[in-house]
Amino acid sequence: MNNLFMVVDATIKGNFNKLTRHRMPGAMPFGAKYRLIDFTLSNCKNSGIRNVAIFPYGNYRSLSDHIGSGDRWDLSRRKDGIFILQPKNLNLKSEDSISFQRMYEHIEYFVRSTQEYVIVSPANIVWNIDYDDVLKNHLLRQADITEVLSFEGQRLKTFLLSKTTLLSFIKNYDDLQYRNLTEVYDYSPSINKNAYVFESACFFIDTPDDLFKANMALLSMDIRHQLFNPQHPIFSKETMSSPSRYGDESFVKNSIIASGAVIEGAIFNSIIGRKAIVKKGATVKNSVIMNQCIIEGDAFVEYAILDKETKVMKQAKVTGSSEDLFISEKKQIVVGDEELNIVQIAVECEPFVKTGGLADVVGALAANYSKLGVQSSVMMPLYPRIKEKYRVLLEMRAEAIIPYGDVKYKATLYSYLDQNTNYYFIESYDFFDRDEIYGYVDDGDRFAFFSKACLNFIHIFDDLPNVIHIHDWHTGLIPLLVKNDEAVKSIKTLMTIHNIDYQGIHPMTILNKVGLNDINHYHQSINFMELGLNNATTISTVSPTYHDELRYEYYSKNLVEIINRRDRDFYGILNGLSDEIDPLTDLSIKVPYSPKNVFQAKPLNKKYLQQTMNLAVGDEYFVMGMVSRIVEQKGFDILIPALEEFMSQPNVEFVLLGTGEERYINALKAIEAKYPNRMKLNIGYDATNPNYIYAGADAFLMPSRFEPCGTSQMIALKYGTIPIVRQTGGLNDTIEQFDSVSKKGNGFKFYNYDSRDLIFQLHNALHLFNNGEKQVKQQLIKNAMASHFSLEVSAKAYVELYKTMIGSSNR
Amino acid sequence: MKRSLIAMILVGGKGSRLNEITKDTAKPAVSFGGKYRLIDFTLSNLAHANIDVVGLITQYEPYELMNYIGNGGSWDLDTIDGGISFLTPYAKSGEVQWQKGTAHAIYQYYSFVKQYQADHVLILAGDHIYKMDYQKMFDHHHLHNADLTIASVDVPIEEANRFGMIQYDLETRMTGFEEKPQKPKSLHASMGIYLFKTDVLEILLQGIGQEESIDFGKNVIPKAFKEGYRIFSYPFEGYWKDVGTIDSLYQANMDMLDDPNFLTLNVSKGIQVYSKSMNLPPHIVLEDGIIKKSVIADGSIIDGTIIHSTVGYQVVVMKNSYIEDCVLLPQVFISENVRLKNVIVNKGVIIPENYTLIADQITVIDSSNLMEVGGIDE
Repeated sequence: MNNLFMVVDATIKGNFNKLTRHRMPGAMPFGAKYRLIDFTLSNCKNSGIRNVAIFPYGNYRSLSDHIGSGDRWDLSRRKDGIFILQPKNLNLKSEDSISFQRMYEHIEYFVRSTQEYVIVSPANIVWNIDYDDVLKNHLLRQADITEVLSFEGQRLKTFLLSKTTLLSFIKNYDDLQYRNLTEVYDYSPSINKNAYVFESACFFIDTPDDLFKANMALLSMDIRHQLFNPQHPIFSKETMSSPSRYGDESFVKNSIIASGAVIEGAIFNSIIGRKAIVKKGATVKNSVIMNQCIIEGDAFVEYAILDKETKVMKQAKVTGSSEDLFISEKKQIVVGDEELNIVQIAVECEPFVKTGGLADVVGALAANYSKLGVQSSVMMPLYPRIKEKYRVLLEMRAEAIIPYGDVKYKATLYSYLDQNTNYYFIESYDFFDRDEIYGYVDDGDRFAFFSKACLNFIHIFDDLPNVIHIHDWHTGLIPLLVKNDEAVKSIKTLMTIHNIDYQGIHPMTILNKVGLNDINHYHQSINFMELGLNNATTISTVSPTYHDELRYEYYSKNLVEIINRRDRDFYGILNGLSDEIDPLTDLSIKVPYSPKNVFQAKPLNKKYLQQTMNLAVGDEYFVMGMVSRIVEQKGFDILIPALEEFMSQPNVEFVLLGTGEERYINALKAIEAKYPNRMKLNIGYDATNPNYIYAGADAFLMPSRFEPCGTSQMIALKYGTIPIVRQTGGLNDTIEQFDSVSKKGNGFKFYNYDSRDLIFQLHNALHLFNNGEKQVKQQLIKNAMASHFSLEVSAKAYVELYKTMIGSSNR
Repeated sequence: MKRSLIAMILVGGKGSRLNEITKDTAKPAVSFGGKYRLIDFTLSNLAHANIDVVGLITQYEPYELMNYIGNGGSWDLDTIDGGISFLTPYAKSGEVQWQKGTAHAIYQYYSFVKQYQADHVLILAGDHIYKMDYQKMFDHHHLHNADLTIASVDVPIEEANRFGMIQYDLETRMTGFEEKPQKPKSLHASMGIYLFKTDVLEILLQGIGQEESIDFGKNVIPKAFKEGYRIFSYPFEGYWKDVGTIDSLYQANMDMLDDPNFLTLNVSKGIQVYSKSMNLPPHIVLEDGIIKKSVIADGSIIDGTIIHSTVGYQVVVMKNSYIEDCVLLPQVFISENVRLKNVIVNKGVIIPENYTLIADQITVIDSSNLMEVGGIDE
């Protein structure tokens, strides 16, 4: 009997995007018939471990269905056995690895376990390891904590330690500065550490690329022998498919085929899941096809991961590449070269009119769609400032008299064709002939009328669009209008949330005015965003993490129930940064640079920044920059106390460019007065080009309370300035914690909205700046500059989403 | 706990007509169609009908069968009160009680029936390939208030001499019975599946212990018919194969290959055929593998050519080997340059390099007859 028990860390969410929409990584299908967690559980069985706890996050139905009573792994037992310990505090979000706080929720489990040692390991590693060997090594080295590394030195988030030690962390989680075992291992000075290197095949699956590579590795006999050692077999849930069946014309080379598959087409170097069907004339190359997919006749699939039950229609082509895999969503229907025809409807759009990030996204998507060859158009109101500037280019297309309430209004449609994108402008003297875009008492009427007018004109388009993509609350009525209009009912609608704090609450009478009478509402007012979220075919937001956060009331407030109800139709797609932002072509900075000359140019820009801002000049100073609205959302409640403490470090400088609330500005000014040579505020956001800060600072601060996507951190990365951010929204999706051992990561981030946690990471960054090896510091800057968040990638993701929407027949 | 219906499966037959294939294993444990065992079909039908008390009467080489079935969990037969019980030969008053025919087997374990005070007993065979909804048969039995219901299936006239043939009227009540007739009066063959009222069965079985051989078909049914019991037939439609001979085992495998929807094995609606999972990795096709019109089970590695054959689990077929119209039972190893046609290769047999057997009639290769039936091609 073994003296070990196992904590399976299934809280790790990984970066799987679509593949984890309906499951957690542990439940991810792998190797045609397995799930990732089969390896960890089989290793437990083969190592004689009889006491296993799984800590899942989020949607673990699929996982718990797969595990059942655990009898497949001999874990259905009277004493000990397998326990799925669900999250109690649903407001705890998923993290990089299981936190002591999460374990504390089930501290009874740890107290009651009778084994002396515990191994904590994620559910998403493909390997065949004897944990007992790790224990022996741990005891031999008399270590307090042993970390298991792959033979390539990759960290596997797998730790072995005594139950007593782990319990001491769990019990004191609230006072510890370490959230999890990785942090203990990395930062705790007083603990005896040991690394155990696992010499056999091992795949840590954290991204679709990892999943793809590990699947492909199974085609190597050597890897198969290492993973499927008959002495330590890998067990999986019992299923009941018939043997695989081959037709007359099947042609299969170098592929793994699970039972129940029906193969009539050609397959090369691929992994085919249970009950998948490849019909006559179809070709599958270098792909991972999961269970119950159907590849119809004459379809072609290359470099793809097709999630369960994906259907590739006749003659459709799915061509990814080894760098850019095609990934389908569960039950997606992949259509052929069907023409996409997208209409984006928004109230602002670059380059015509802009007040915020919304306009950038709409404009950038339209421009990228035309690059991708997707037919798209944009509809927006015609504001006087647009008309002045574009007068000669606008072409009048139609006029209409549109009833709104009891009055009939005239509206005129203009268009302007630019690089295959049609921009449509709707002119109305009554509603849009004003100086500003927003801020009028009748904003509700204005945008309701705009929505109605848009649909009115869509009626007369030669080709009906197949998707209408709306942005934020202003156009929130459109999905409902579409639903109630026979002629356009078939059009799918996508609503993108840019910031859920602006919802558009206006009088109930607006619904009658647009001609929607029989809506059953008890309220006196309507919420545009709520109506949009309720009625759109699909909804999305601007980063995967913000998407996850919106499930919690802390972020989505009054709309939390709707967001959760629509979870199955809700996506997070990260915005990108325009390629035009580039320190090499930036004429506003002192010395333009690229990754090639950054180490020469950056000190000069830093010196310029210090001089311009009247700071003490010197390369030995650690310059932190910030460009931000000075409002609560941006984290000033934790930043100010953190600065009060951290500025006492002798070689720290801080510059801030921005404008906002008095109370924060005053508090900041008080600190500035204390450190006149090392801290400067530049209040007056709109007036100054901030790029000299991006170019000159060493670090860039964004301790935001929430941040749907954020672009400043992307700019900072591009300028080789290291972001220090809170792990929220788009910040979490763009910043990866730097690890000085593996030299991976592009910044520093912290989890709790707490100044203490911010200070911890500030010290971490400062420590690297002061004491780090030059090569390590430079690698971090290289990593940052190599991080690439392109709008083209976002545009592609939206195009995939549109296709998914068109392909889903059940709505 | 009292049950209204329990099932008894007769697997005692030695299966001598399957020769080497049943040398070490009971007939119901014989592999079929790559991954199945014959018993899977009957057990899966039981699982579908929610019949959870099953007595399995076994006699020859029961070990592999018992090991395979285990606690019956793969067929949901691992219930707390009930489930599957193995009824094996035992010594009674110093004398081993070998069974003397199908009815005698039931007679011997009648105490099992009594234990559950079942009103009805369903008697099944363990070596049939079919999907049947026993609940429908039970409904039919009730509808006609039958004392005994015999499942029947229509067969071609030339096969009638292999079966007990039933005649029945419009209400399906049996009007006549012939055992293996040369000139049948009907084409309704008894499937050897009987549903008895328990009290009727008890009366019919009384005092049969003395005779030499007592079968349902030969003895019990004619007796019941003569004594005027209400005997009905339940006409079954669909695929049904009694795997009693090498030819029928081979033919059933070929039937599976030729019908893409054979027994709708891949459809998760209606009766599902469960099989005990062997916990094997999926099969792999290497660079030189060619597979056409075949079925392949898990754990196999294919680098040769396989045409119109069924391949069991953990089979290896090496380069330049050519297998056509064959049944490879599990764990067969085919070395390089082997030619096989019209052959059943018994479980676990290793075929050496350059071996050839192009058979005119279906031939079983076993390690014992390997060099007699075929040879090394120099």
